[in-house]
Amino acid sequence: MKYLFIILSLSLLAIAPFFGQIDIDLSKINDITSVEYKLFWDLRLPRVVVAFFTGALLGLSGLIFQSLFRNPMSTPFTLGVASGATLGTAFAIVFNLVSLIALFGFLGALLTIIILFGITSRLKAFETSTLLLVGIALSFFYSAALMILFYLSDETQSYEIVRFTMGSLDVVGFANTLPIVVVSSSLLLLAVNYKKEIKLLLTSYENAFLKGIDVKRVNTLLLVSVSIAIGVAVSVTGPIGFVGLIVPHILKTIYKKSADRLLMPIFFYGGVFLVLCDLISRNLGTTSDIPIGVITSFLGGPFFIYLLVGRKRA
Amino acid sequence: MLRVTDFSNSILTDITFHLNDGENLIILGSNGAGKSTLAKVLCGISYSNSVELFAKELHHLSAKNRAELINYIPPKLEIFDEYISLREFLELSRLDSKLTIEESLEFLGLKELEHKACITLSSGEQQLTMLASALLHNAKLTIFDEPTANLDPQKTLKVAKILAGDKIKSRIIITHDLNLAHKLGYKILYMSNGKIEFFGESKKFFADSSLEKFFGSSLKRIDEYFVVNL
Repeated sequence: MKYLFIILSLSLLAIAPFFGQIDIDLSKINDITSVEYKLFWDLRLPRVVVAFFTGALLGLSGLIFQSLFRNPMSTPFTLGVASGATLGTAFAIVFNLVSLIALFGFLGALLTIIILFGITSRLKAFETSTLLLVGIALSFFYSAALMILFYLSDETQSYEIVRFTMGSLDVVGFANTLPIVVVSSSLLLLAVNYKKEIKLLLTSYENAFLKGIDVKRVNTLLLVSVSIAIGVAVSVTGPIGFVGLIVPHILKTIYKKSADRLLMPIFFYGGVFLVLCDLISRNLGTTSDIPIGVITSFLGGPFFIYLLVGRKRA
Repeated sequence: MLRVTDFSNSILTDITFHLNDGENLIILGSNGAGKSTLAKVLCGISYSNSVELFAKELHHLSAKNRAELINYIPPKLEIFDEYISLREFLELSRLDSKLTIEESLEFLGLKELEHKACITLSSGEQQLTMLASALLHNAKLTIFDEPTANLDPQKTLKVAKILAGDKIKSRIIITHDLNLAHKLGYKILYMSNGKIEFFGESKKFFADSSLEKFFGSSLKRIDEYFVVNL
């Protein structure tokens, strides 16, 4: 069963770049002068790469946040990091700084992280729930600020903001996939490196402390790293909700293993999930792609509820 | 080995005492007297700058050094992740012990439970699991918080033997079980309302006059055993 899933997933990843609105003539993808070459190497393949690494990053981030905050609802999105990035981006759009959109998105996320951890440093090591509340309060504040920006913007700008908040995996060329590939791989390396610490934190904070873990340092390191990675991802793709929430839950239900042993599976299947969602969004036959966030929520929501209910019954 | 100087917080008042190398301690006191609070101060979970361990100030120790010196076994096993198994929990607990996981499982009779998730174990099995973790952690000083609470007589006897045995280095045992305290014969620290009411030799504490003072008519002595006077 497990191997079947891996094989299915790998084949999905392999075929994903070949499907889209325009059919690709396979004989031409190595012909530099053809449209197919550009379409395949500059658009399709980078897009699949971005989808995979973004999904992987979102899944892994969700797992880490849920583990550290002891709360199944917490993801970098509930903490306001994504809202911060969205606000930054909207700001750039409204004030005609379009060339700096990614930078502003990242700054928005970074600012949120600085606020969050400025506050955490005043708290004791075990009060992570306060941080979650602060994150939620910040999200509301950002939504209000975003409304003001909508009010100030003209029609095209409003459309652009809406489009951004729905998330998009449009990337042109491999160079633009690099930031996401680098941050998500680094986060995976970090998490694997801190596997034992994460596992100890999964028993209880007190137990981790007694076993010689510097709880506050490890917590801060992991949370800041996740937040920075998310900041980078959101500035490239926009906020893609739900992946970070459901992928860890789904895999926990299936694997029935402690979270530290799910780091690799969640990274892999988080990526596969987003590639699948993207494949669907590109092939529904509409004139333009349906935003990826719509698909993730549309597919993920019902499936997630099904799993939760099924699990209760079992 | 352990020195607490003039510690107070919202629950504890003027806590001062010390233990010499190789000494063990029993902490007694009514519910809510501050025993567990004191234990958390001693092991550093509650921050203070009044605790000295093996001639070093607790709050200046690195996390790793601290773990080698002191460990605290809480009254209940708390585990967040529902899938961590007994064996995995013990693997996490083994710091620098000569004892292997296998030996500890055999020793406490937990072998057939090793792959069960910790949260599905019964309270008695969880107590034994925590005891196994204490042996594997093997800190220079271990604080046991009510290690025999909620155990059947057979398990109580087993735990009592281990608590008295040489598999543990120095120990502080918080308990309500006066028989256990009496049999172990360690120094006694009796607390009430966050204050130390008695600190001294076991013999002195178990003299009729002091028992009368601390427990009044609620306690009855039958030979060398103590029962609640129902």
